[in-house]
Amino acid sequence: MIRLENVTKTYPASVRPALDDVTVDIEKGEFVFLVGSSGSGKSTFLRLLLKEEVPSGGRVHVAGKDLARLSHWKVPALRRTIGCVFQDFRLLPNKTVFQNVAFALEVIGKGSATIDKVVPEVLDLVGLDGKAGRMPDELSGGEQQRVAVARAFVNRPMILIADEPTGNLDPNTSVGIMKLLDRINRTGTTVVMATHDAAIVDSMRRRVVELSQGKVVRDQARGVYGYGA
Amino acid sequence: MRASFVLSEIGIGLRRNLTMTVAVVVTVAISLALFGAGLLIREQVGTMKDYWYDKVEVSVYLCGSGSTSSNCNGTAITPEQRTQLENDLRTTPLVQRVFYESKQDAYARFKQQFKDSPDLVQNVTPDALPESFRVKLKDPTQFEVVASAFRDRPGVDEVQDQKALLQNFFKLLNTLQLFALIVAGVQIFAAVLLISNTIRVAAFSRRRETGIMRLVGASNLYIQLPFLLEGVLAGLVGAGFASGALVALKAVLIDRLLKPNFPITAYVGWNAVLSIVPLLFLTGMLLSGLASFFTLRRHLRV
Repeated sequence: MIRLENVTKTYPASVRPALDDVTVDIEKGEFVFLVGSSGSGKSTFLRLLLKEEVPSGGRVHVAGKDLARLSHWKVPALRRTIGCVFQDFRLLPNKTVFQNVAFALEVIGKGSATIDKVVPEVLDLVGLDGKAGRMPDELSGGEQQRVAVARAFVNRPMILIADEPTGNLDPNTSVGIMKLLDRINRTGTTVVMATHDAAIVDSMRRRVVELSQGKVVRDQARGVYGYGA
Repeated sequence: MRASFVLSEIGIGLRRNLTMTVAVVVTVAISLALFGAGLLIREQVGTMKDYWYDKVEVSVYLCGSGSTSSNCNGTAITPEQRTQLENDLRTTPLVQRVFYESKQDAYARFKQQFKDSPDLVQNVTPDALPESFRVKLKDPTQFEVVASAFRDRPGVDEVQDQKALLQNFFKLLNTLQLFALIVAGVQIFAAVLLISNTIRVAAFSRRRETGIMRLVGASNLYIQLPFLLEGVLAGLVGAGFASGALVALKAVLIDRLLKPNFPITAYVGWNAVLSIVPLLFLTGMLLSGLASFFTLRRHLRV
């Protein structure tokens, strides 16, 4: 589903590469934690998958496509196969929960019949049924993140990318979000999640890829956050 | 493509950016109004040329006893020379019509022309005025060919082109037109910068929305179209105001003020205005559309 071959990424302003000869292979339906300290290259890793960045060297394959050979106008199609969740939720404050989720479908040209059918389904899935008419600032952080997950998943992407989705949440709320991501993973969606949250990684016991200074220093099938744990 | 979505985005964008949009509309309106006025002046010059060139004649003044030019040598034209000259003028292919004006005819016309200044008329006798051939050319621009052929003929005092008298006036109008077009050009330049800036601010103020659109895989067209249409819409509204100004110019300045007070010439008709208005809309649309398009390419990349 995702394959990075000897990928190097150097940003113009820096000397040290953000990613240095990284090779990772992620199968369809896997749940992968991407761990490492700040600046280790996690975000660059995720941005490469979306073709928000292009590698300085090596190849990136996503959903069977070589991104280097993906023409500019096909990038939106690639991104429709990938859902994204962020630490800061990135909801539109002037739209309701329903409108926020519907927005993701509207802007890819889906009709209102589809929207009226699919959005309630996904809100139900993330546990927000009955809150469709609320505004984001009326919701708790955990609920807002559920809206963001609903928006990322409403188009049934093959891959879900989560960049520290629990970074702004307390531990109890984080567990709820992780359960939700786990449920989404069980529908066959590949999940790649960058995180600092040791407790979560340790409790989930999923594959862990650790980055340090742009290099893969560990790739464990049922790993924990750190060596010591 | 869902039209309702795009339309609601345009509405949101225009409202959020109202002051800038008003500035764009005003600038576009002023620049296009000047542009239209410049074109209208050109039409007016054309109309006047058609009107006057149809009437202007070449005057071939004949030597009288008092003529001072070297060609006359102080002697009046003989009847034979006059007949010869008239025949030659009539057989020149460029000439449409020849009309002989005797001293008496010239005096009658002089009296008519200066009937408000009896003192002047009293001091002039028919003998003091030159006799002439009034020559109507098929093509008034061919004056020089005729003039050079007859200027040195015996008994010809002077060949005068009435068209030359109009040239100065046309020059004035052309300068006016040039001035209007230059100011319009400067204004259009300012309008382009303003549109570009407005679109940039609009793109910045909606970066949350466009960021999400990019992430969920909205196509470039979907992301950029609302901004593009916003710019084009502002341009079209500006063109609408400019057209209104042009119609007012024609209705008030030309029809109400100039026509009754200076009936000596023809003025541009409504069809000239009607031919300029679509041009203003087209220019307004292209102007704002292109300015928006190139700004978006720089500031809203996928």
